[in-house]
Amino acid sequence: MNARPRGTDGSLLTSLPWTIGALALSVAPHLPYLPVWVTAAFIGCSAWRYVIEKRRRALPSVWLRAGLALACFLGVLATYATISGVGPGSALLAVMASLKLVETRKRRDQFVLLFISIFLVMSALLREQYVWSLPYLLVAVFVIMTAWLRMSATPGETAKQSFSTGGRLLLYAAPVAVAMWIFFPRIAIPFWAVPMDTGTATSGISDSMSPGDVSSLSMSNAVAFRVTFDGAIPEPRELYWRGLVLTVFNGRSWSLNDPYKGPRVHEKVSVQAEPISYEITLEPTRQPWIFALDMPWSWTLERTFMGPQHQLVRALPVDQRVAYQAVSYPQFETNVELTESARDWYQRIPDASNPETRAFAREMRAAAGSDRAYIEAILQKFHEEEYFYTLQPPPLGSNSVDRFLFDTRQGFCEHYASAFAVLMRAAEIPARIVLGYHGGEMNPMAGHMTVRQSDAHAWNEVWLDGHGWFRIDPTAAVAPDRIDYGVSEAAFEGLGAAWGLSAPSKLVHNMTLAVDALNAKWNEWVLGYGPENQNKFMQWLGMRDPSWRKMILTMIAIVFSLIAVISILLALRYRAPAKDPAAILFQRFAKKTGLEQEVGETPARFADRARLANSLPAPVIDSVTEAYHEARYGPAGPAAFVRLKNTVNAIS
Amino acid sequence: MQQRSALEPLPVSKDAQRVVIEQARKALGGIILGKNQQITLALACLLARGHLLIEDLPGLGKTMLAQALSRVLGLSFQRIQFTSDLLPADIIGVSVFRQDSSEFEFQPGPVFSQLILADEVNRATPKAQSALLEAMEEQQVSVDGTTRQLPDPFFVVATQNPGDQIGTFPLPESQLDRFLMRVELGYPNEESERELLGGEDRRSMMKEIVPVTGPDMLIALQQSAREVHVSDALIDYIQALVRHTRESADIEIGLSPRGAQALVAAAKALAFIEGHSGAYPDDVQAVFSAIAGHRLKPAGGTRFRSPAELCHHVLDSVAIP
Repeated sequence: MNARPRGTDGSLLTSLPWTIGALALSVAPHLPYLPVWVTAAFIGCSAWRYVIEKRRRALPSVWLRAGLALACFLGVLATYATISGVGPGSALLAVMASLKLVETRKRRDQFVLLFISIFLVMSALLREQYVWSLPYLLVAVFVIMTAWLRMSATPGETAKQSFSTGGRLLLYAAPVAVAMWIFFPRIAIPFWAVPMDTGTATSGISDSMSPGDVSSLSMSNAVAFRVTFDGAIPEPRELYWRGLVLTVFNGRSWSLNDPYKGPRVHEKVSVQAEPISYEITLEPTRQPWIFALDMPWSWTLERTFMGPQHQLVRALPVDQRVAYQAVSYPQFETNVELTESARDWYQRIPDASNPETRAFAREMRAAAGSDRAYIEAILQKFHEEEYFYTLQPPPLGSNSVDRFLFDTRQGFCEHYASAFAVLMRAAEIPARIVLGYHGGEMNPMAGHMTVRQSDAHAWNEVWLDGHGWFRIDPTAAVAPDRIDYGVSEAAFEGLGAAWGLSAPSKLVHNMTLAVDALNAKWNEWVLGYGPENQNKFMQWLGMRDPSWRKMILTMIAIVFSLIAVISILLALRYRAPAKDPAAILFQRFAKKTGLEQEVGETPARFADRARLANSLPAPVIDSVTEAYHEARYGPAGPAAFVRLKNTVNAIS
Repeated sequence: MQQRSALEPLPVSKDAQRVVIEQARKALGGIILGKNQQITLALACLLARGHLLIEDLPGLGKTMLAQALSRVLGLSFQRIQFTSDLLPADIIGVSVFRQDSSEFEFQPGPVFSQLILADEVNRATPKAQSALLEAMEEQQVSVDGTTRQLPDPFFVVATQNPGDQIGTFPLPESQLDRFLMRVELGYPNEESERELLGGEDRRSMMKEIVPVTGPDMLIALQQSAREVHVSDALIDYIQALVRHTRESADIEIGLSPRGAQALVAAAKALAFIEGHSGAYPDDVQAVFSAIAGHRLKPAGGTRFRSPAELCHHVLDSVAIP
């Protein structure tokens, strides 16, 4: 503790920018997730340290550094209330690395910093694993490597040389890395499961719907899932991706069944026409909902069950990307009698809410005469009166349906679905809301369909006696194009502008498609290489009943043989400054004189010295020197070499 | 250039050429006492078709060396005393109007000689300097739009006075590079000085010198010097030296590829003079200081007091492969 701060001598000036650069590259992927003050701390410390070195100032005292470290630690604690987890962990690491910069005095400190950089850059993978994470990672590691080499560079070495050395080293390491990636056993039990940050915003559909929810999704271009159809691609109007079913209305928002109160009797389904078979790769949602084309018939995802309202629910939330095959029948009927309690359940609306709507519904129902006629009339009303489809509707009050139906008249799917369901229920027709996605965009580059969060949709199912649950999409009555084209295509048709969507340029759109295709392949081949695929691959390679023991042993064997092969190749490629045979003979002669040839001493001068030393007869020395000169520097090399050999061999 | 290749080298054997060189060395050594190393370097420079810069204090025999070289080798000699009012025309020559023929006639300047002594070259203005240096580089001059070939062989010996700082224009590095070698004469040793003081007058001796050869023979000698064998091992050594000058922390500007070429040419010429079967490391080392001394720029704050010292350090740090 009594170490006095010493002035810096500027000796780190060449390697310091590299260290800072390497650290910046490894901190950068974390910074968007971390509080702003972490970024400020990093930039501040880097600049501070550089100025110290540049002006040859002293490093800050140990007390100042300790105080800063404590402040940063408390800062992290205050932000996250914990220090475990990806967020607090990386925040702590980033600020401490920044502070370490300020006490970096020697090369050893810089090495420590580079180790931290490696760790930080790897931990960025806990946050995101996109296609571009890999090239970024490689570049970052490359720079860290170069920084490393810069630090131990010989004085004459240029940055370019360090760069190419670093690149070469990475190249040698690449096959070993690939082998380890393939053979390192993937274990089904996620015992090193990534501690996900709780409370971070999840994108996707949530289990309740109040005005404005889907709107935020409509603006999100994030991928919800990707679909590959086995056969022909269904018509856009058939692409209703069923998710969850909302049955409870509280006057303003819709939510799920209370599982202990709501109807639990499974409704029977009978299907017609041809099934559609497809595979879905669902992005993590951290929700238990599994999406499938209406009406799902069979699926391959483990621990996934069909709920009473034909919604697929998984016993675990979808924390990781999952892929499953499913078969659906687009034409189906649920023709079973509704129990009294269920009928009651699907007709409930709070007594005090939305009085105008309820009065209106009763009036209309009475005028229409039958349920079907009433439904027609309502859809007609949406279609003919001044209702607008927009993704930026005005806010609604507590009696949201009243205000929407008679006042604002602007909204999107969830407004219409909500209003429609309330209108039905008010007229004593059982109704519910299905949340899911509608449509999707074929990616011609990859051959799959991409369904994005912007495709999120809400529609209704109403019970018609003698017919069962019947899908009605009131949005289709207002904005048929939304249903016929889907959101992204509508954006091109110019319809999107009317709805408040900005039309992307064709180029941007094509790039999005390309990135999407790339991401799908990446997910399939790289991130999807889990226990199952690994097992398959191992069997394909010829390993019988692959176990983690076998894989580890294979990995070790392959890695070591790779290292051996690479080393041998390098050794073969390395051209040792081939020792000239004549030079070897001269060295033997030099040894016999008992003298040692000095650096930069020519053979002639060495001979002079040897003559003085008198350990060998002068004529011998003369003839060896003469022959050596002839052999190595003269035009008649081979003949002189024989002479040299004979003379040297003749020395006893 | 075309003319030269058309010239047939004299049908003289290598042995006869070596006799000529030995005679020349001996004759020169008889006039410039105790400076055998510098005489050899000057001859090597001439045989390597380069130009020579002698840098030293006045009165050490710079002029004498140049004059003796021209006498011994049978070359036409001109001396140009560089002063601050020297004009390019004083070097190259002027066109004079002839009344009788009503035509301009070119009066060749002193540069149209086979051996030129450019005395105290750093006293002239850069303009005059560059007139000479351009002639050296091109071996031709352009006057009034006419290009005139300079004689062959063409050898410039320039002297420079290092102590003189006032009123001089030291040659910049780029101009220094045009000189293949730079040598320093230094004081004679005691024995030589005694002989000088007691012996015959050097100037009268000079008049009695019988040329041992002529321009044609000199061209043949230059040709032979070019043909000296250079082995891969020697190229390795030269490359190691050059690399060291570029990478050493003591040296700010290392040897350029042209400098390396100069090193090879000079080593070959010296090997020819010494009668070596090929260029030896000894030849490289012997010419290294003269070749590299004015081309290297030592880094600031190094321990070397003179370029020669720096060059010796380089030679002592690079192993001969």
